Amino acid sequence: MPVTPALTLIILMAGVVAGAFGATLGLGGGIFLVPFLNLVIGLPITVAAAISLTTVIATSSSVSAARAGQRLINLRLGMSLEVATAAGSLAGGITAQLLSEDTIRRLFAVMMAIIALLMLRTLNQRNTFAGTSVDPGLLGGRYDDPQAGGLVTYRVKRFPLALVASFVAGNVSSLLGLGGGVVKVPVLNAWCGIPLRAAAATSAFMIGVTATAGAIIYYGNGQLVPALAAAAVLGVQAGSWLGLRIGERASNKSLKLFMAGVMLIVAVIMAMRGKG
Amino acid sequence: MNSHAAQDARLELIIRRILRVGVTTSSVLLAVGLTWSFVAPGTPASGLLMTVGLMILMATPATRVAASVIEYAVERDWLFVALTGVVLLEIIASVIAALVFHRRL
Repeated sequence: MPVTPALTLIILMAGVVAGAFGATLGLGGGIFLVPFLNLVIGLPITVAAAISLTTVIATSSSVSAARAGQRLINLRLGMSLEVATAAGSLAGGITAQLLSEDTIRRLFAVMMAIIALLMLRTLNQRNTFAGTSVDPGLLGGRYDDPQAGGLVTYRVKRFPLALVASFVAGNVSSLLGLGGGVVKVPVLNAWCGIPLRAAAATSAFMIGVTATAGAIIYYGNGQLVPALAAAAVLGVQAGSWLGLRIGERASNKSLKLFMAGVMLIVAVIMAMRGKG
Repeated sequence: MNSHAAQDARLELIIRRILRVGVTTSSVLLAVGLTWSFVAPGTPASGLLMTVGLMILMATPATRVAASVIEYAVERDWLFVALTGVVLLEIIASVIAALVFHRRL
């Protein structure tokens, strides 16, 4: 496909929209950008994934730079789990070179559906463990959450499960061109005792490293088109600037509900296209 | 616990600076390169600017991992030197994997 200014501008605008939603939901934008580039623009899914991964790096970096200092990002937890996400990303990037277009698209659909259903199931569960008396331990954290009415302290439970989820997230990230937050955040929140906002911020922080490992492999394989990636990155940067401001006001429940709805719709479209 | 928090606050500031500088530099290069490609299509310089911009973007998270290794070493927090060191090795491994695929084509 020839790289025309019109195509570049369309991708720039798609980037703005994807970036706004991505930052709001802590997903990284890839969840909207990959289906758009693949289904609407008609780029091969590996090329779409490569472009998306560069935007994921940019979103993660700018969102984390803006959040750093608020204690919402759990550095130690993030850096521990990065060991697993980067390994998964490495494996996923190599796997992407070996699978067919339809297979990757079906995997995308299945992954979205699973996560969306998981989000709906955990919609009404408590997701914060408020109280200053809890000992956060080696990997836990403490941050000020106005929605919870003060200081939230949490302890990380089931760390091996968090590692497994992170490996899978890394794998999904570079294979499908996503941030991988869709895999990590629900697990960290529902089973590992980490409040949604802290889980999302920590996940967004880790995603930059995850996406880098994947993007490098696509780049080496000549699947990263510089002009299209540049347009997408700039669009997503503008969009995530907007989204970050909207996201600060969204409640946990509406965030989860919207996230699940969007993912279910995307899953159905991707699955249908995969069969045809 | 308090000393941990103080160390992490310092590292967070270092990371914030690295991420901000990396994203800003790459965004400027990508914007200039992209605009240039609109004004004068097919100019090699515009493609080069965008490629360098993307490389800086990909180097940004890698740099903050490297900075974390150094910062934890200064703090003599060997567990986290090891953990962040492994992450850095994994990024280097992806560069090696990229070179393998590049040679195959």
